[in-house]
Amino acid sequence: MHLAIYTFPMLGRSLIIFSFISILISATAYFISFRKKSDEHLQLARISFHGSAISVLVSSFLLLYFILTHQFQYAYVWNYSSTDLPLHLLISTFYAGQEGSFMLWTLYTTIIGIVLLGYSSRKGWEVEVMLVFNLILGFLLLMLVVKNPFAYIWDAFPEDLIHTGTLPQTGGNFVWLDEVKGIWAQYPTEGKGLNPLLQNYWMAIHPQILFFGFSSMSVPYIFAVAALLRKEYQAWISVAKPWTVFGTGILGLGIILGGYWAYETLGWGGYWGWDPVENSSLVPWLVGLASVHTMMSQRKMGSFVRTNFVLSILCFVLVLYSTFLTRSGVLGDTSVHSFVDPGMWAYWILLSVLTLFALLGFGLLFLRNKEMPKIPVEHSFLSREFAIFLGATLLSFTALFILVGTSSPIITTILSGKTSAIDISYYAKTSLPFGIGIALLMGFGQLLWWRNSQTSSLLKSLFAPSFVALVFTVAMIVVGVNDALILLFLFFSAFALAVNIIVGFRIIKGNPKYSGGAVAHIGMALMFIGFVASSRYDDKQTVSLEEGKTLSVLNNYQLTYLGYQLMEQEQYSFDIRVEKDGNTEIVSPVMYFSKFTNGLMRIPDILNQVMQDFYIAPVSLETPESKSKEEIHSFKKGEMKTIDGMKITFVDYDFSDEEKGKMVTKSREVQIGADFLVEMNGIIEHIKPLFQMVNGETKFIPANHSSGHRFTIRKMIPDKENKENSSIEISIAHTDSESNTPQKDVLIIEASVKPYINLVWLGTIMMMFGFLISVVRRLEEARS
Amino acid sequence: MKLKIILGSIAIVTILVFLAMNFLESKIEYGTITMAKEKGKLIQIKGACVQEKESFYDSKNNQFIFYMKDDEGQETKVIYDGAKPNNFELAEAVVVKGRYSEGVFHAKDILTKCPSKYEGNSEQIKKTL
Repeated sequence: MHLAIYTFPMLGRSLIIFSFISILISATAYFISFRKKSDEHLQLARISFHGSAISVLVSSFLLLYFILTHQFQYAYVWNYSSTDLPLHLLISTFYAGQEGSFMLWTLYTTIIGIVLLGYSSRKGWEVEVMLVFNLILGFLLLMLVVKNPFAYIWDAFPEDLIHTGTLPQTGGNFVWLDEVKGIWAQYPTEGKGLNPLLQNYWMAIHPQILFFGFSSMSVPYIFAVAALLRKEYQAWISVAKPWTVFGTGILGLGIILGGYWAYETLGWGGYWGWDPVENSSLVPWLVGLASVHTMMSQRKMGSFVRTNFVLSILCFVLVLYSTFLTRSGVLGDTSVHSFVDPGMWAYWILLSVLTLFALLGFGLLFLRNKEMPKIPVEHSFLSREFAIFLGATLLSFTALFILVGTSSPIITTILSGKTSAIDISYYAKTSLPFGIGIALLMGFGQLLWWRNSQTSSLLKSLFAPSFVALVFTVAMIVVGVNDALILLFLFFSAFALAVNIIVGFRIIKGNPKYSGGAVAHIGMALMFIGFVASSRYDDKQTVSLEEGKTLSVLNNYQLTYLGYQLMEQEQYSFDIRVEKDGNTEIVSPVMYFSKFTNGLMRIPDILNQVMQDFYIAPVSLETPESKSKEEIHSFKKGEMKTIDGMKITFVDYDFSDEEKGKMVTKSREVQIGADFLVEMNGIIEHIKPLFQMVNGETKFIPANHSSGHRFTIRKMIPDKENKENSSIEISIAHTDSESNTPQKDVLIIEASVKPYINLVWLGTIMMMFGFLISVVRRLEEARS
Repeated sequence: MKLKIILGSIAIVTILVFLAMNFLESKIEYGTITMAKEKGKLIQIKGACVQEKESFYDSKNNQFIFYMKDDEGQETKVIYDGAKPNNFELAEAVVVKGRYSEGVFHAKDILTKCPSKYEGNSEQIKKTL
C-alpha cells in the first residue's frame, strides 16, 4: 500500500497552484517595473519567477516519480501506464495524455524561461521580455489548474472506489480518505497501459522535440511584443534572431521525426498524411521559416520592420491556434489524432487565450504602427531583399493554404452551416505551385546581392546551375516524368541544389560559419526531389503470398513467405525472403492481436536500399479452409444413394475392429469402422472410414476411394438392439490432386517501392545541420 | 511604386481566387446515408459499425466489407479497398469517405474514432483493482 504519499494530499496540485499564483505575482511586478520604469520591484519579480519555475520543476519530477513508482491512485498514471512497460516507455507516458502533454509544454517553457531571464537581463531587455513570458507561462499553468494531472482516481470513479466502514487489510490497495467518518477508497494495482501504437522508441523522442519546438516558438513572439512595448523597432531583431532560428529548427526536426515514425513503424505507408495534427505544426514552422529570412533582411538592410513583427507574432499565435484545433475537440471527427472532447473549460480557455495573445500582439502593433519608421525602398527587383520578400510571401501563402484546408470543418460550418472537410489531394495540388516558386527563389536568391545585382555577373553565375538542372530535367523526362508542373518543380529544385552547392563551397572556403544558409538550402532542395520521387512515383501492390511459393512483384522483387515466428509478448513476425538482382534478404513485418485496442496491430518492415526503400506492410494471414467440395450425407443401414456417379450403399458398422482394438490395447482404445459398398463404372470397392477413440480423444480416419473421393465419418447413430435402425452421417469430399497435400497459410501484404526516399532523410539531416550552423552564427552576432 | 502596388494586388487576388477555387473543389460534405443515396457524390458519413452483421476482409479482392449505421439510424453495406483499419474493433464511431452506388457505399477512406480514455468505465477500473 502506498499510504505514504497520501500523508501529503494534493501535493502535486498545490505545487501547480503555487506556480500559477507566483507567476501572476511575477508578471504584476514586472508590469509595475515597466510602467514606473524603476527597479524597485524587480527583485520580487525575479524571486516569484524562480519560485514558480522551481515549483514547475518539482511538480514535473513528482509526476514522473508517481509514474515510475506506479502510483495508480492518480487517474493520469492509471490511464496511461502500467507495471509491464520498459523504462523509456514508462517515462514517455508522462506526455501520453492531454494533462501530461500540457505539463511537458509547461516544463520546457519554464526551462526556456530560465535561460531567457539570464539572456534578456544581459541584453537589458529583462522587464518587457519576462513580462510577456510570464503571461505565456501563466496561461499554460492555468490549463494545468483546470486539467489537473494529479487528480485522484477515486474522484473519477467515486461510485466504484469510495466506500465506508472498516478498511480492508488485504486484497488490493486501500487508503483512508477520512478516518474519523470511516470513508476509504480502493485504488487500482495495475494501470490501463499505453496504447500499443505509441509503444515505440520514437514515443520517447518525437513528442519531446515537438513540444520543445512549440515552447521555443514563443520566444520570437515575446521579443516582438517586448520590442513594441519598448518602441524599439530595430534592435530586437539581432536579439531575437538566434531564438527564431533555433525554434524553427527544433520544430522542423520534431515534425520530420514524426513523419519518420509514421513511415517506419506506424505503417501509415508514408511519412506525411496531411492530417490536422501534422498540418497544425507545419503551419507555424512555415511562418517561422519566413521570419528567419525577413529577420536577416532587416538586420542587414533595416527593411521589413512591420513584416517581422507580424511574422513573429504569428509564429506563436499559430502554435496556439494549432493547439486549439487539435486539443479543443473542435475538429471532432475529421482527424485520426484529435483528442476527444476535453470539456468545455479547456475549449473556452484555449479559445480565449488564443484571442488574448493575438489581440495583445496585433493590437500593440496597430497602436505603434504610425510611429514606426518607414524605411524607403532602395532595392531593385534584382536584389536579395526582393527575393527574400517574394520567398517569405510564398511561404506565408503556403501556410495560409494549409491553414485554410485544416480549418475547413470550422470555416464551412460558419459560412454555410454544413460541415465539410477538405480532401487531402487539395494540399498537394495547392502547395505544388508555391513549391515551384520557393525552389526557384532558393537558388536564384542565393545568386543575388543586397540592394542590386550586376546583370552581367548574375547571368554568368546562372549558366552552370541552369545547365545542371536542364540535364537533370531531361533525364527525368527520359525516365518517364511527364507532368509539366512536376518537371518545373524538379528543374528548379535541381537548380537550387546546384546553386547552393556552388555557393556553399565558396563560403566554406572563406568562412564555414556563414555556410548555414547554403547547407540548409541544399537539404531543402534534396528533400524537394525526394518528395516527388518517393510520394509521386511510388508504386504499390497488394499480394497474397502462399507459404513457400515465390511470387514476383513490383519490378522483379521475388517474394517468398517462409512462415511466422513467435516473438516476445505474443507478437508474431512474418518472415519474407526478398530476392532482387541476386541479393537475398529477410524482411519481417509483425502482426499481433492487441488486447488494448482489441484488434490486429500491424508493424511494417522496410528493406532499405540506397536508391529506394522496399516497404512491406502486413495486411492479414489467411488460413484457408479445404478448397475441395465437401458434402454431408446421411445413410440408413442398407440404403443406397448415387453421389458423383458412385452408387454408395451403407452396409453396416463393423464392430469387429472395436473388439480387436480392445484386445490389443486393453480397453484404452476403441475403434469402430463403417462399411460402404461403392460401385463406380462397374468396379466395386469396399470403403471403410474409421472412428477411433484413444485415451479419451476421438479421431475420424477417412478412407479414400480410387476416384479421389474421401469418406469421413461425421456422426454415428448405431442401434445395437435393432441393427436395422442404425444410421450414419458421412462427408464425401472430392479431393483433387492439389488439396491432397495440407493447405498452406497465405500471407497478404502490401508491398511498395519508395524511390529515392533517402533523399528526404539526407535532406533533413543537411537542413538541420544548416540550422545548427546558423544558430551558432546568430548567437555570436547577438553577443557582439 | 504604383506599378508595384498594382502588380502586387493582382498577384494577391490571383492567389486568393486560386485558394477559393481549390477549396470549393476539394471540400467534401459531411452527411447521412440518405444524402449519399440521393446525390451519389463524394461524401463523408459518420456512423458506427453494425456489430450484429458480418464484417470481414476479402483477401482475394483486397476489400474490407462491413455494415454501418449512421446517426439517423440508416444502414448500408460498405466496401473499402484495403485491409481492416488497425483500431476498427475498438472504434466507437467510424467516418467513411466515398460514394454510394448500386446499393453499396464504396469507401476510399475509413477513419476510426477511438473512445476517449477519460471515459474509462467502471468495468475497466474493476479489472485493474
